[in-house]
Amino acid sequence: MSSSTFFGLDIATRGLYTAQRGLTNVNHNIDNINTPGYSRQVLEQRASRPVLMASGSGMLGTGSEVVAVNRMRDEYLDTKYRSEAQYLGEWYVKYTLLEELQVMYNEPSDSGFNTVLNEFYNSLQQLSTDPSSPAARAALKERAMMLTKYFNSVANHFEYLQNDINEIIYAKVQEINSLADQISKLNMQIYNYEVTGNAANDLRDQRGNLVDKLSQLINIDAYEVSYGKLPNGKDDMRFVVAISGKALVDHNNVYHLAVTQRENKLNEQDIPNLYEVSWADGNKLAVKSGELKGYLDIRDGNDGLNGSSDFRGIPYYMRKMDDFVRVFARTFNEGIIDINGDGVLDKVAGHVDGYKLNSVEGDPASGIRFFTMLDQYGNPMSSAEFAEAGGSDPGGPDYDAMYSRITAKNFSISLDIYDDPTNNICISGAAEQVGNIDVLRSLIDLRHNTYMFNEGSPEDYIKTIISCMGVDGQLASHYLDNQTVLTKQIDNRRESISGVSVNEEMGNLVRYQHAYKAAAKMIQTYSEILDILVNRLGI
Amino acid sequence: MRITNNMLIENMLSNLNRNLARVSRHQNQLSTGKKISLPSDDPIIASRALKLRTDVAEIEQFKRNVNDAMSWMEITETTLKQIGDVLHRARELTVDAANGTKTQEDMEKVKVEIMQLKTQMTHLANTTYSGRYIFSGFKTDKPLMDEDGVFQIDISNAERIFYEIGIGDDMDINVTGSDLFHNGSNSAAAGTKSSLIETFDELISALELEDEEALSAALDRIDVDIDNVLRVRSAVGARMNRLELTANRLDDDLINFTKLMSKNEDVDIAEAIMHLMNEMNVYNASLSVGSKVIQPTLVDFLD
Repeated sequence: MSSSTFFGLDIATRGLYTAQRGLTNVNHNIDNINTPGYSRQVLEQRASRPVLMASGSGMLGTGSEVVAVNRMRDEYLDTKYRSEAQYLGEWYVKYTLLEELQVMYNEPSDSGFNTVLNEFYNSLQQLSTDPSSPAARAALKERAMMLTKYFNSVANHFEYLQNDINEIIYAKVQEINSLADQISKLNMQIYNYEVTGNAANDLRDQRGNLVDKLSQLINIDAYEVSYGKLPNGKDDMRFVVAISGKALVDHNNVYHLAVTQRENKLNEQDIPNLYEVSWADGNKLAVKSGELKGYLDIRDGNDGLNGSSDFRGIPYYMRKMDDFVRVFARTFNEGIIDINGDGVLDKVAGHVDGYKLNSVEGDPASGIRFFTMLDQYGNPMSSAEFAEAGGSDPGGPDYDAMYSRITAKNFSISLDIYDDPTNNICISGAAEQVGNIDVLRSLIDLRHNTYMFNEGSPEDYIKTIISCMGVDGQLASHYLDNQTVLTKQIDNRRESISGVSVNEEMGNLVRYQHAYKAAAKMIQTYSEILDILVNRLGI
Repeated sequence: MRITNNMLIENMLSNLNRNLARVSRHQNQLSTGKKISLPSDDPIIASRALKLRTDVAEIEQFKRNVNDAMSWMEITETTLKQIGDVLHRARELTVDAANGTKTQEDMEKVKVEIMQLKTQMTHLANTTYSGRYIFSGFKTDKPLMDEDGVFQIDISNAERIFYEIGIGDDMDINVTGSDLFHNGSNSAAAGTKSSLIETFDELISALELEDEEALSAALDRIDVDIDNVLRVRSAVGARMNRLELTANRLDDDLINFTKLMSKNEDVDIAEAIMHLMNEMNVYNASLSVGSKVIQPTLVDFLD
């Protein structure tokens, strides 16, 4: 027979509801155009279940219904983004910090190491043309102090930076833990909501955003695993975030990271009590990339020495400077250098072999060391006190024991030079000869000796350090540029799929508006028909 | 591919940022005048810059050394000329006194003048330059000889003072007292009498005794001494020539190295300005086009 009387109204009402849902959806999308991490939602609209006509004349349509609201998201792109964002974070940190390190050295400039060393050697040359002049000797003392204070200053700056990075690492670990907590809360909310069979679109968006943030901080894998089947037949999906294979977040369980202060220094040059990052349950944490890796590499990197990372970070450059001052001081003071490149250390005239300006015939060589170190009170150590550590072995002092205590931070001229530069600068090769500059010439020659270091002469050594840093910085800059472009491109694709387009939503708005108007018109028409049926027919 | 408004805005912003980074780099180059501000901008330029700065600083120092050496040697040369003059005057007097026509009074007058010349010679031997005795070898704080011409210090040719005037290139700038005042010998011990002054002593005693043979023997000695002084003087002259050549070469080197240094790290202003204007054009274009593209949406046209 025919359908029920009010069947038409039914269909039209369904149309109204569908159009209303559509309009609500458009509204929601437009409101969230600028929400970070938002994926646009699309109605899944279907014709509702048709009714079989009893008369056998086909199916009768019953209108439309909204089956689901789907979130337009490509999970593959999310995974791809997170795998690239970790490198973006790592190289961004390394690039900015390497820039800071370069600024500390301040080369090439008129006030960097190169200039300071040049002026030191210039003052030695000036002394050679007027060896007995107190003015020239005082000038040499001042230039030498400039040299040592430059190293002290750079070393101090490096230490401050290392300390600052240490604090930042602490803060980042807290940030990671906090994000993990938030993710696990969202996990529970999403799970509870989806057990009913719906998709928790906005909550998933929020969780995705948090995971994106986390992926820049540290290397993570984020995925859903199936734990079996739910009573309603769907898979029981639980969300896991893992770092190097160990779970940070597993459904509603969070395994925090912890920082503990190191009892033993990893590198000799480190400041004490740096933070070691590990799992709270004590397991070792393998950080492979991300901002945390950037900070850890710069703070601990010593080019692979002592099991530190392969990166050339602050400890590496501190070590290079420490090595420089040790060898430079030893060569200048003692005259111990491989003079002819045969691999064996020779002894030429050093400062200890010179004679004091006020020496008299028969005096021995002065034994004064020009460069020593600052003692624990920050005062220059006298040459005699410094040499005590060398022992009194008649075969010769233990130079390693003496000079291994010098670091860039405590490098200094000796107290003897500080107090009396006129007499204690010993450049004469014989007693009571004030014009004798034999020892001075030996010291000046050392400047160009390319066997002093593996890298060559003192200036070559510093050039190598600066070049190293320059190349590392340039590399970091290039990697950063590449990663920026890469992540931008992936993000673009994500935006293309999930982003809200105002034009599209406006189009949808017009569409649903028409549908609504049409459905409302249908209701009006049916109303008129019923009016005729009810009011006009019959009595 | 589906494009959203946010994509347009994001892309425009990231491109603007890249443009602005380039503008900033060129502007930085212009305001500092240098191609790089950090070694990582161009490690090769940075490394070369360090080397060239050292080279220039060394050359400047060598120039100072050469100037100091020239001053010292000029004083030496003047003194040598004066020593030569003294010896010539002594020779004149001797030749005159030896012609056999002189009375005892005349000999007495000659003797007095010779004694004055001897004193002047000892003073010349103790010439100083900037407070240092130039003929005393390494013992520049002690005079060479006393009033009688006796050496006060041990002096030897091993005590030559070397100034560095180039890399691996040095020059001895002094004349030792033993070479000049002891007839070219390699050394003289303290307490011995300078042979040059001895000549004067012999002359004085010959004049006192009016001994003609002794006078002509003294004349021979004076001739030997004059030759010695001439030898030393020509050696000093040769060294001064070498110093001048070195000074000229150092001047040229300084110009060359400074030029290299500048070519390496200084930016060509005209080129930099051109690049900057270029980038500014690109920046302006992207700003104006971007602003037109990101604004209109369908909303503006639906009523």
